[in-house]
Amino acid sequence: MTEQGTSAIPELPIPIFRVSPQVERYMLYDVNIISWLRKHHNILGVLIGTIPQVPQQNVFLGLPLELLPEEARLLVADGIAYVVDDLSWHRKSIARGEHSERMQQDLRREGLQLAQDFERRKQDKMLEHVEGAKGKRKNRIKQEEEQGSIQAQETLFQGVSNPVGQSLPLAPTQTEPETQPWIIVPTTAESLLGRPAKGPASQMPLVRPASYALFEHLHRRSYFMIPGLRFGCQYSVYPGDPLRFHSHFLASGLDWDEDMDLLDLIGGGRLSTGVKKGWMIGGVDPTREVGDLDSEAIGAKNREAGSALRTFCIEWGGM
Amino acid sequence: MPLSQPSHSPTQADPTSTAKVAEGCGTATHPAYLQALAREVQHNLLHQHNWTSLRIHTSSPLSHEPLPRPLVSGLPPHRIYVHPDEQIEELKQGLKEEDVGVEREWVLPTRLKEKWSLRRFGEVFDGISEEPAASTPDETQEEEEEEAAMPVQTHVNVKHGKRRGGKRLLLATVGDDSTVVYYIVHDGIVKPRQN
Repeated sequence: MTEQGTSAIPELPIPIFRVSPQVERYMLYDVNIISWLRKHHNILGVLIGTIPQVPQQNVFLGLPLELLPEEARLLVADGIAYVVDDLSWHRKSIARGEHSERMQQDLRREGLQLAQDFERRKQDKMLEHVEGAKGKRKNRIKQEEEQGSIQAQETLFQGVSNPVGQSLPLAPTQTEPETQPWIIVPTTAESLLGRPAKGPASQMPLVRPASYALFEHLHRRSYFMIPGLRFGCQYSVYPGDPLRFHSHFLASGLDWDEDMDLLDLIGGGRLSTGVKKGWMIGGVDPTREVGDLDSEAIGAKNREAGSALRTFCIEWGGM
Repeated sequence: MPLSQPSHSPTQADPTSTAKVAEGCGTATHPAYLQALAREVQHNLLHQHNWTSLRIHTSSPLSHEPLPRPLVSGLPPHRIYVHPDEQIEELKQGLKEEDVGVEREWVLPTRLKEKWSLRRFGEVFDGISEEPAASTPDETQEEEEEEAAMPVQTHVNVKHGKRRGGKRLLLATVGDDSTVVYYIVHDGIVKPRQN
């Protein structure tokens, strides 16, 4: 929880939280899992949490991350993840309620550790500044620091004996000599409730088959997908991480015999070319044989290998 | 589609004469409205976009079965599509537009009111080769003489009959007011041009 941003391999399979049985929405709350999935499995999802200090802006969003149903299904199908019903799991686990006290103590201890580390670093910096100029002062600060750590130890034991409901200061202030623990708000419930158990038969997220086929086809070919609503398609398709690449295609999945309006094709093609992309349509050809999905066969030349899905890319003709 | 006529009879359209174009509808493997549509697109390419060496294909160059509908092929006045990788190579080699010859293109005539599906696009692509033939096998000799007289430079980087990015065609869509719009359709995943 404290080692944020690193992509250490999480314990597999990972839980994906479905909001409730009525709603087809899938969430991830653990930043380690999110960054690991992005790095190793081309799974992006959409960050939907606002930042508490700046709730109005929506350019930079944070946890939680909402997965597309297609992404959730792909992860479950590959055995990387399983679906947990968030609501019922919480209700069941919190009803037991045996861990809450211990967790609060753990959090307090961790917060105190953070606060102490912060104070120590601050003082070290101060020492560096003062060093050389006043030798005598340096000694005095060292003494103070020692005293400070003893005080901090005392607060630690106070925390254990006192109920944690009492109000805590938001951050250590300079006027108060003793270190106050920082408040930690955990983003996952795992420290409180433990890891949710995997059910006997993990449910499969529901998806539109035609869309999912195209999503899977492109995902297996190392493309990254994000929702394509802002370009009027199903997926914006990136050849690599969207932080490094512009998207190549605006893709929509169709059934093999699904009627399409030529005007939609023309509009899509025109829009895509205007933003230097290609308009992609794709669907599963039921008559096509599925070969082995051999990674070597899917070179630049033969990107269609190993799939019954067929894609077409449309660009403006320029005339 | 009836196979009553020998499907093996595409017609060569002389770019200078529209009278010859009409000969194409003599072979009745396709309904008249599709033949008329192909001719309409052919005329548009010829007169509005200055394409040359236009012809209508009624049968597949691969299977020699009738195509789902008559297709047009021809030479555009300048290249209508350059694959991004190819463009980079040409820039590196310092090639200019004039140094690289035009490529013969497939054109698929459609009407705006039509409904299309992936299956129909798949069938059209299954019927065509990467590069349309400039002439029927019988006419090859004649065509070669023509080419000798008026040389068309073939692409320096591309092997004859092979296209970077695989099969492609130009989707020609005719509106009610006989406006024709042209869109390039690739068979498969082909990265977009960086215009």
